Amino acid sequence: MAPKVFVPSPDRPPPVDTSGPLVWIRRNLFRDVPNTLMTLLGAYIAVTFVTAVVDWALIDAVWQAESRRECLDLVGRSGACWPGVFVWFENLIYGLYPKDQVWRINTGFLLLVVWMVPLWMPRVVSKVAIGLSAVMLYPFLASYFFLGGEKGLVWTALIAAGLWGLIWVWATALTETLTGKSVGTWLIGRLGRSGADEATQMRIRRGAALALFVVSVLLVAPAEFVEVRTQFWGGLFLTLVISGIGITFSLPAGILLALGRRSKMPVVATLCTVFIELFRSVPLITILFMFNTMLPLFLPAGTEVNQLVRAIVAVCLFAAAYMAEIIRGGLQAIPSGQYEAATSLGLGYWQTTTQVVLPQALKIMIPAIVGNFIGLFKDTTLVSIIGLFDLMNMARAVGEDSNWLGLFIEPFFVVTLIYFVFCFAMSCYSMNLERKLSAGRERS
Amino acid sequence: MKKTILTGALLGAAAALPAAAQDTLATVKERGMLNCQVGLPTPGFYALADDGTWSGMDVDMCRAVSAAIFGDPDMVEYQSVTSAVRFTALANAESDMLSRTTTWTAVRDTQLGLDFTLVNFYDGQGFLVPVDSGITSALDLDGATVCVLTGTTTELNLADYFRANEMEFTPVTNENVNVLVETYLGGGCDAYTNDKSGLAARRSAFPDPEAHVILPETVSKEPLGPVVRQGDDAWANIVRWVGFGLINAEELGVTSENVAEMAANPPSPNVARLLGAEGNIGEEMGLEPDFMVDVISAVGNYGEMYERHIETGIGIPRAGSLNAMWTEGGILYAPPFR
Amino acid sequence: MTILPDQTRPPAPSRPALKALNDARVRSAVIQALTLLAVFVGLWWIVSNTVANLAVRNMSAGFGFLDVSAGFGIGFTIIPYQEGDTYLRVFFVGIANTLLVAIVSIVLATVFGLIVGLARLSDNWIIGVVARSYIEIIRNTPLLLQIIAWYFGVFNLLPRPRDSIELGAGFVLNNRGFYLPAPVAEAGLGAFLLLCGAAVAGAVGLYLWSNRRLEKTGQSFPALRVGAALVIGVPALAYLALAPVSWDMPELQGFNFQGGTSVPPAFCALIVALSAYTSCFIAEIVRSGIQSVPKGQLEAAGALNLPPNWTLRRVVMPQAMRVIIPPLISQYLNVTKNSSLAIAIGFPDLVSVWMNTSLNQSGRAIPIVAMTMAFYCTVSLAVSAVMNVYNKRVQLQER
Repeated sequence: MAPKVFVPSPDRPPPVDTSGPLVWIRRNLFRDVPNTLMTLLGAYIAVTFVTAVVDWALIDAVWQAESRRECLDLVGRSGACWPGVFVWFENLIYGLYPKDQVWRINTGFLLLVVWMVPLWMPRVVSKVAIGLSAVMLYPFLASYFFLGGEKGLVWTALIAAGLWGLIWVWATALTETLTGKSVGTWLIGRLGRSGADEATQMRIRRGAALALFVVSVLLVAPAEFVEVRTQFWGGLFLTLVISGIGITFSLPAGILLALGRRSKMPVVATLCTVFIELFRSVPLITILFMFNTMLPLFLPAGTEVNQLVRAIVAVCLFAAAYMAEIIRGGLQAIPSGQYEAATSLGLGYWQTTTQVVLPQALKIMIPAIVGNFIGLFKDTTLVSIIGLFDLMNMARAVGEDSNWLGLFIEPFFVVTLIYFVFCFAMSCYSMNLERKLSAGRERS
Repeated sequence: MKKTILTGALLGAAAALPAAAQDTLATVKERGMLNCQVGLPTPGFYALADDGTWSGMDVDMCRAVSAAIFGDPDMVEYQSVTSAVRFTALANAESDMLSRTTTWTAVRDTQLGLDFTLVNFYDGQGFLVPVDSGITSALDLDGATVCVLTGTTTELNLADYFRANEMEFTPVTNENVNVLVETYLGGGCDAYTNDKSGLAARRSAFPDPEAHVILPETVSKEPLGPVVRQGDDAWANIVRWVGFGLINAEELGVTSENVAEMAANPPSPNVARLLGAEGNIGEEMGLEPDFMVDVISAVGNYGEMYERHIETGIGIPRAGSLNAMWTEGGILYAPPFR
Repeated sequence: MTILPDQTRPPAPSRPALKALNDARVRSAVIQALTLLAVFVGLWWIVSNTVANLAVRNMSAGFGFLDVSAGFGIGFTIIPYQEGDTYLRVFFVGIANTLLVAIVSIVLATVFGLIVGLARLSDNWIIGVVARSYIEIIRNTPLLLQIIAWYFGVFNLLPRPRDSIELGAGFVLNNRGFYLPAPVAEAGLGAFLLLCGAAVAGAVGLYLWSNRRLEKTGQSFPALRVGAALVIGVPALAYLALAPVSWDMPELQGFNFQGGTSVPPAFCALIVALSAYTSCFIAEIVRSGIQSVPKGQLEAAGALNLPPNWTLRRVVMPQAMRVIIPPLISQYLNVTKNSSLAIAIGFPDLVSVWMNTSLNQSGRAIPIVAMTMAFYCTVSLAVSAVMNVYNKRVQLQER
């Protein structure tokens, strides 16, 4: 009987690589035959598409020329002719806005950015107020920058209100970040009146606000810009103005319509439903067309409504109807227990709506709302069909310049890129939001 | 509350009625601006430069009217709208006049509330085909696919021509010339049809202009000119006689160079009347007596306008065309300024 | 509510009207009456303005022009049209074209949407990346630009008629359009259609019968397979036996292919752009619909030992459909509305041929815009009505 001897079993083969680029390629691209075929097909599509575009747009393209004739003599139609787009590039962005006034547009948009920055500052508490102020007050400031011209008393006051808002936002942002107090409390503290009774404190707050307003009026009054009428607005600037106003208007109007549609008063509900269904069932082109040709007929003779205003009215109503349906979706998703709980607490209709239902409904629908904004931004291309010089029509004007006659594809390509950059940025932001929100939901 | 709405509505409805007697001249003077409607940019007639300025034959017509009213050719606000909404924009009183290669037709003149003032450009529709197609006459086009600008008389003439000659065709329509030209150059249609002035301008911008030829046939009459709203004859007269004045100026040899001198010492009674040294034509129209001096020094006479925008601008010669002066074999003939 | 002492209430008798306003029903009635009044007054104001304006401007708002001959050619019609036909006919031509585009795009978009959705979930890296970039590019550029891009980037670059791409069996592709053989009715067509109808009816009957038997006895019958065999087999045999149609082949004559039927490049570009655009949205809808079915449902089905295709057909799909159908229908409506962008490449849909060309040629803005809007409203309301019925049927019953 042989003694039991420990015989080691032969070594197992080393494991196949589990990391490294080759493994990744094998696992993800060439796992089996159909997978390999798909890889090759995908690669083929990508390569053909990319090389065709790169050839035309970069390799065969002409970068310097005086006119399209020169481009055509150099490469014919096989390569892009970029100089024409360069010459007109400023117009693609700012439309026909006088070149020496363009800084006003830039400043206007810069102000918006400055206004919104506090929203992303972590220690700022009054974000809702800041957001609201941007929606309510910024437009006055911006519209004077963009439009200019004579300003009467009311106009001056409104612009001053805009400036006042901006100063307030930053004062709030600074005091909240540095001291953690709201700007009023901070001011009262600095004045050494923290101990004073509420009425005095309130008086101080009001006095400070009024003083600030007077200062902004004094700042605004002497500023005088040349008037740039809306006929000269165009390009990306006009696209942003139209979609910006549409977006701003659509949210409150959409909320009201959605509440109206769910209202228990049959007349109100019917009217809202009719409005929403009417505007949703018809293409935007038709609505733009109708407002463009028929709005002047609906108003008393002699009322002049400019073309941009008509387009904006159409876009706003259209956007509001779509927004209403999105918000209604959000409202429907709120369990009826929430309503019942609010009622049992003795809250009235408006209290229930604004304190309980809307905050939840809006939060659920944020991704859809952003999606709607993207859609609206894309839809503004249609204003070109009624003849506004938005990006599309500005691109078209390039091809009608006698130096660049027939240059059509190139400006068009650039416009597509501009739209893509904007929409892609927005959609990334929305996905980011969605991820954050859903993370919140999963935790709870 | 209810009452105010009701009264407001009543007032609104009532206020609409007296406007029937429109006074465009007064409105324009009060506004301090002439609202002149042109089309989407088109070289030669209403071209848009990258600094936002407009120029061209039809634009000069707007500037001429502005000069006649204000003594300044630049008191114009150009409204560039698509052809689909041009007549409603005029009827809605958004624009005071429409100066955008619009063909004078019976239906437009009688049914759409429009008033055509004069013809300041004679055009005719033709066909552009590739040379290698071997087509030499429009009658060879049976069964062809034809690119045509939509919403224009061109579209109707095309259909009429093929129907009259019992031929078949497939239209490819668009309202953007560049789209049509790209389609044509890509071979998407056998022929491209438009007014011949437009064809020539486009052909010169082709990669290889020699490879395309304009067929000899002219298949339509296209008398183009400024249009105003119906119902204000005084205003129509102003636009009409500024236009005729420009043509008369050429006939009488008054140019932007010599107009000041001629106004000071008119060489003939005709010139004296045109420039307001004699007669009361201007006053009776509600303008300055010498309004044509302002007009001509601003835009030149008809010949100068044509030379500047059409001949050097898009390379269509005037000599031998319909737009030559009647004394030189054309049909440009303005009633006398007296 | 009688807990409050009487003194705290306002002295009621002097102001009965205000007291009545505290009653929710009265208040709501007053608000509604006011709203209604405001709307009527507003409408009346608009109508009276319009009437006055029309009179001043010598514009007619009547429908008399509908009988007038339109006089322009239309590049693609599926109902017969000639240059001498009336404007009313143009309206119907536009409607037919719009509906054709909508229906074809809807079918293609649904198919595309499924494929793209699956491709995006694929574990092949390249396919995933291609699908994802496709979706991102398409979703983030305006449809108007895409339609033009397809038109010039693809369909206008196809070879000229003389060098057409022959796909075989009479299918031809060139830059004038897509040509396909057209069926021409022969003697046996009636009998053939009758047989096809009978086969379909038989298959449906079989399916219903097998369902009922399954519910009653638990015995299953391969109704789908037999039915499919019936629906495919009978017409195939009948076609061979009866020769109900002959085919009119497109042939190169003169400038172009003649015979057969054809669709212009603008149609192809529009269809491709619309279906590509919509498919991105449909893909997302389908995916979220399937993901919305709780995992527990699958596990429960597994615990009951249901075969996988039953799980899909009888557990997952019925629940997913409830989530999928409403947004899907709204996408279908979007396709119909988006088809109005055909105007950019000159395909003669309703907006292009009616609200653009006809309006331009006749100058009758009001009736034309009104008729266009009426058409889109009708389609949309009809679909919405059907949808509401469906929604009521499948809605989860809450307390």
